[in-house]
Amino acid sequence: MDYVIETRELTKVYGTKIACDKISIAVKPGQVYGFLGPNGAGKSTCIKMLTGLVYPTAGGGTVLGQPLGSVAARKKMGYLPELFRYQDWMTGRDLLKFHTRLFRLPMDEGRIDQILKLVGLAGQDKFKVGSYSKGMQQRIGLGCALLPEPELLFLDEPTSALDPVGRKEVRDIISGLQKAGMTVFLNTHLLSEVETLCDSVTIINHGVVARSASMSELLLQRVNLEIRAAGWDEDILAEIRRRFQTEPVTSAEGKVTLTLDGHERVPEIASFLVSRNVALYELTPQGETLENVFIRLVGASGDAIVAEDAEAKEGAVG
Amino acid sequence: MKAIFMTTWQEAVRKKTFFVMGAVTLLYLLFWAVLLHYFVQTVRERALTDAFAGLASHMLTQMGLQFSSSLMALLTVMLGAGAISSEVESGVILSIVTRPLRRFEYVLGRFGGLAALACVYATLLYGLFLALGAAFHISTVTAMSLGQIVAGWGFYLLIPVAVLCLTVFGSTVFKTVPNGLLMIFIYILGNVGGMVEMVGNYIASKTVTAAGIFISLISPFHTLYAGMERILLPTSGLVGEMMRGASGLSGSGAPASGAMYVYIAVYMVGFLAWTVYRFHKRDIS
Repeated sequence: MDYVIETRELTKVYGTKIACDKISIAVKPGQVYGFLGPNGAGKSTCIKMLTGLVYPTAGGGTVLGQPLGSVAARKKMGYLPELFRYQDWMTGRDLLKFHTRLFRLPMDEGRIDQILKLVGLAGQDKFKVGSYSKGMQQRIGLGCALLPEPELLFLDEPTSALDPVGRKEVRDIISGLQKAGMTVFLNTHLLSEVETLCDSVTIINHGVVARSASMSELLLQRVNLEIRAAGWDEDILAEIRRRFQTEPVTSAEGKVTLTLDGHERVPEIASFLVSRNVALYELTPQGETLENVFIRLVGASGDAIVAEDAEAKEGAVG
Repeated sequence: MKAIFMTTWQEAVRKKTFFVMGAVTLLYLLFWAVLLHYFVQTVRERALTDAFAGLASHMLTQMGLQFSSSLMALLTVMLGAGAISSEVESGVILSIVTRPLRRFEYVLGRFGGLAALACVYATLLYGLFLALGAAFHISTVTAMSLGQIVAGWGFYLLIPVAVLCLTVFGSTVFKTVPNGLLMIFIYILGNVGGMVEMVGNYIASKTVTAAGIFISLISPFHTLYAGMERILLPTSGLVGEMMRGASGLSGSGAPASGAMYVYIAVYMVGFLAWTVYRFHKRDIS
């Protein structure tokens, strides 16, 4: 199996509204795969098609080598929905037992204890889910999704109800799962989480894929370069404009900053400057932040997400 | 399917649904016992003739059966109105149908759990109703043979199961509250159908009778009730004639045909199959 998830032009139309338009993605085994987009971009609809909740209008794909929505795929698949609601009359342990039965797993109290500990709910299992805080409900939901030791885990906004400490704990859980070889498909509004955790990212906007790439490819697609050097002249700057299609900015301290359209162009510009007898003291490349890439790709509609991410960061600091 | 079946039971117990149903039923049975007590006392004090006392006990039993079957049907509607819709509305379903479970298993598990619950309830209600009648020596009850009781029980169980087939289907189409209201309306409509048919027979109007039959096709629950009544109270045809006007809901004409019972079976299986089909085809979002 080359890909854990592979979709071909996956499309969902509700009446006249196109929720997802020809989404084609490929997720390799063991990846933490980020799925981003502004509100209403079609992320949750796409996840629902991958998990078999929603039927595609057109296109198709496979999950764990099985057609979308197949029972065989769901045996080794965990899913934490964005709208996490569970039977409020059950205790935490009852809920895990219920999902153990749904997964058709043997009843193993030890495994349930292990899951409770993993999601930070040890000792809380005798209380009713209805009495849990939102964060605890999200944790128990994650526990349910992890019960079968899935090969693929769909997490739709897994930290939306968690405090900064809880977010970090979930990030650590995801990192641990990745180390154990699990593939995680992560839909979140928190770009910092994606930047920290994900190997690859797909950004969708208005139902279409705006960009799909590995994280490094995405962040190094444009490089901001700060150059400290002596021996500049106007001819050299003009040639940089022409050859590298960029506008160098010279600061009062004599530093020149410019943007290159790829990390591979850094040695090229270094060679060029040396060839023109520029004394090169320092050359510092800086990749873009995911936030910059995101805003560039989705435009103003992504503002809400960036603001949310900033709030989350502030919360984490506080 | 077993997990869903078991959870449906647990839910009714833990959410105290069964407790509330039990409390309502207890009130009804208490009322029934008081009524029987005064009935027996009056018959004894006034030394009513056997014929008149027999007629009165027939009327009383008929009224009790009608009320208990209506109570049972309404509680069944309460149980089933949100069978699927409440889980869709709350979002609970998202984490269920993404497990390795076929959608038909979910529907049949829910239906099976609720049907079993309704049948247990119906059995208790039926048994206690008859036990009270026997305890007060109500002649129509003490005259029942075991065969009558068992056959009547079969019909009695079919009423909530048939109501549930339609109600669970409604819960894949409507939200919980509108579905509950609609199902209550359809159930009452069935009783109205029986009355219309009775009036049609009364005034010898084929059109009115046909209208009553048409209503019974939409809501055939009254036919099941009437079938049970005929088994338990075999004189109901004769007494029904005498009681027209006194008993608005059960004035019986001819017994339902075999074709009608086949129709009811198709109605039940058809709605259940339609529920499975609709739920299988729908997007859950």
